[in-house]
Amino acid sequence: MTGLDIIEKARQEKRTILTEIEAKQILGEIGINCTDTRLATTKQEAVALSEEMGYPVVLKISSVDITHKSDAGGVKVNLKDRAEVEKAFDEIMTSCRAACPDADIEGVAVQGMAKTGTEIIMGMIKDPSFGPVVMFGLGGVLVEVLKDVSFRIVPIEKKDAIEMTGEIQGKKLLEGYRGQEPADIAYLQDMLLKLSDFVDNTPGIEEIDMNPVFTYKEGAAVVDARIILAAD
Amino acid sequence: MMELFFKPKSIAVIGASGTPGKLGYVIIKNISDSDFSGNVYPVNPKSDEILGYKVYRSVTEIPGDVDLVVTVLPTPKLTVATMEDCAKKGVKAVIIESAGFAEMGGDGKLYQQQIVDIAKKNNIRVMGPNCSGIVSRDIVTSIYPITKKVPKGNVVLIGQSGLLAAGMASDLVENESLNVRNVCSFGNKCDVNENDLLEYFGNQDDVDVISMYLETISDGRNLTRIAKKVAAEKPVIFLSGGRTEAGARAAMSHTGSIASNAMIVEAAVKQTGMIMADDFTELKDFARVFSTQPLPKGNRVAVITLAGSVGVNVSDLCANFGLELPKLTPETTEKLKDMFDTPVSNPVDLYFSVTKIGFTKTLETTFPDAFRDPNIDAAVIILAGFKYTEEAVQKKIIQKIVKEVGKPVVVCMVVGYNKYKNVIMDEMGKELPVFPSLISGVKALSKLCEYGIRKQKMSS
Repeated sequence: MTGLDIIEKARQEKRTILTEIEAKQILGEIGINCTDTRLATTKQEAVALSEEMGYPVVLKISSVDITHKSDAGGVKVNLKDRAEVEKAFDEIMTSCRAACPDADIEGVAVQGMAKTGTEIIMGMIKDPSFGPVVMFGLGGVLVEVLKDVSFRIVPIEKKDAIEMTGEIQGKKLLEGYRGQEPADIAYLQDMLLKLSDFVDNTPGIEEIDMNPVFTYKEGAAVVDARIILAAD
Repeated sequence: MMELFFKPKSIAVIGASGTPGKLGYVIIKNISDSDFSGNVYPVNPKSDEILGYKVYRSVTEIPGDVDLVVTVLPTPKLTVATMEDCAKKGVKAVIIESAGFAEMGGDGKLYQQQIVDIAKKNNIRVMGPNCSGIVSRDIVTSIYPITKKVPKGNVVLIGQSGLLAAGMASDLVENESLNVRNVCSFGNKCDVNENDLLEYFGNQDDVDVISMYLETISDGRNLTRIAKKVAAEKPVIFLSGGRTEAGARAAMSHTGSIASNAMIVEAAVKQTGMIMADDFTELKDFARVFSTQPLPKGNRVAVITLAGSVGVNVSDLCANFGLELPKLTPETTEKLKDMFDTPVSNPVDLYFSVTKIGFTKTLETTFPDAFRDPNIDAAVIILAGFKYTEEAVQKKIIQKIVKEVGKPVVVCMVVGYNKYKNVIMDEMGKELPVFPSLISGVKALSKLCEYGIRKQKMSS
């Protein structure tokens, strides 16, 4: 299924929220690197996928009805072997069914543990007057408390992407602060351009979050992603 | 189509009045006092003649073509009826100045929609309602008395504010503090909006600077596209009202919960190269600097002062606003060695030179030598209102040197007696940007440098 098929299918199912697996597939298709994330509908599948990807892994609940996965007890990280995956699978199912009894649960998303890096957030929202706008900022606490982010109106040019990564207050953290490895800023700018092109050419997308994205000396990886479609 | 609003060959005023003081009278008077040389048709069912113009009972009775209609009717219902008449007559441009439409909600909203429907169906462009229209030398449709003639300047002010068209226009025209060409207030913008006007004035070769005030943005995506194109050619100074964090929306994503209206507008300003003003005074002040001063090649500033403390303060302000104070070249330093007790630095403290050769002579020789220095792109000149400045101000020395050197300056006032200070503010202020405070001058210059650097980058 291509990205457009995924969007079409969600529309037919009268859904506006895509699952993380769907969101990552769409982003992956436009050349944005996301951590390998696949659906396991049973405990056995979860174990098989974990062994295929290699430990440690992360398990996350996969349900269009559960948007706050951690709050529902739907996320288990750093699972190092078969026993831990099996235990985590059961705990996630029990906890999510208790927290969201009406949720339609399709299974768990299994993903490899991404190597940690400086966290950033990248996203998009459709403004009623300006249309789609893209956002770039430092992730985690910095985005939540300080709102240290930069916006631009879609479509953006390379010059705009360069300004976006350059104008956040915390840009020093990206340049490699106190021995931390510097982020591949040119790669992040390229990601912003891909995001802008995508939303410029794909009508009906309301919001996108890539949060967190781990940045590395070379490249970056989207660890969690969310796409919201416009209501009809 | 926009041409019909700003350069009409004939104009009808509906709701015209023969009673001085009434709105319908003032507009006719304003038109008659302007340079407008086309046909003027007052429309009023009960009069025969107003200010020498023959009065018609309705638009449809007017014999010739009517390029522009201005309505100042007392009720929205009458205005809607007039729109129908305009459609019959084949009028293509209407300015509706009356209030009582969408801004009132309820029925007003419905009346405005009726106007929009008639306009769309008949291909009529409508400015307003609830606006004061246009103030210019060619045509005045404002209901406020404009006593003096508007200059044929190079600055256009557009916006959603009667204050702009009336208050500011009278201030600018009377006090000659801005070389205005056109002021246009478009009120509820049921049809003609900022994008139409930005595009129109962007294409006018005789308009060098556009200052714009908006409370709502009609179509931000189009604004971004148009402003980017226009701002690449000429400065667009933008004051955005209602920029509060409260604009943040209920959203499913992190991105959505952070994105406030203010942040998005700011992003658009950066992206397009517009210049953000933070209040009405800046909207005028920045326009003044941009319309009178050449664009600098960089942000390297010489601070010209007679007092060390003021120099220190201005240096700090320059740093805050992204301006640099470089050292002057060894050649300049050598040339000026007799005029400074210690080698010349920046801020350039002229005190020693003044004690040696006097203020006037210092401005004539020491100042231009420092200003011409190749390390310098622009200057901040700090003046005080004292007797010793009188001669130099009268002789317009600073104006002459600025013209000769061809670099931009701003003049800032700090202290002094009113009788000397006011002359600098008012008289020199007609030719150079003179500011009543250090921070306002430095900030305005920083905007000019920012724009100059952007243009340099674009052309390279």
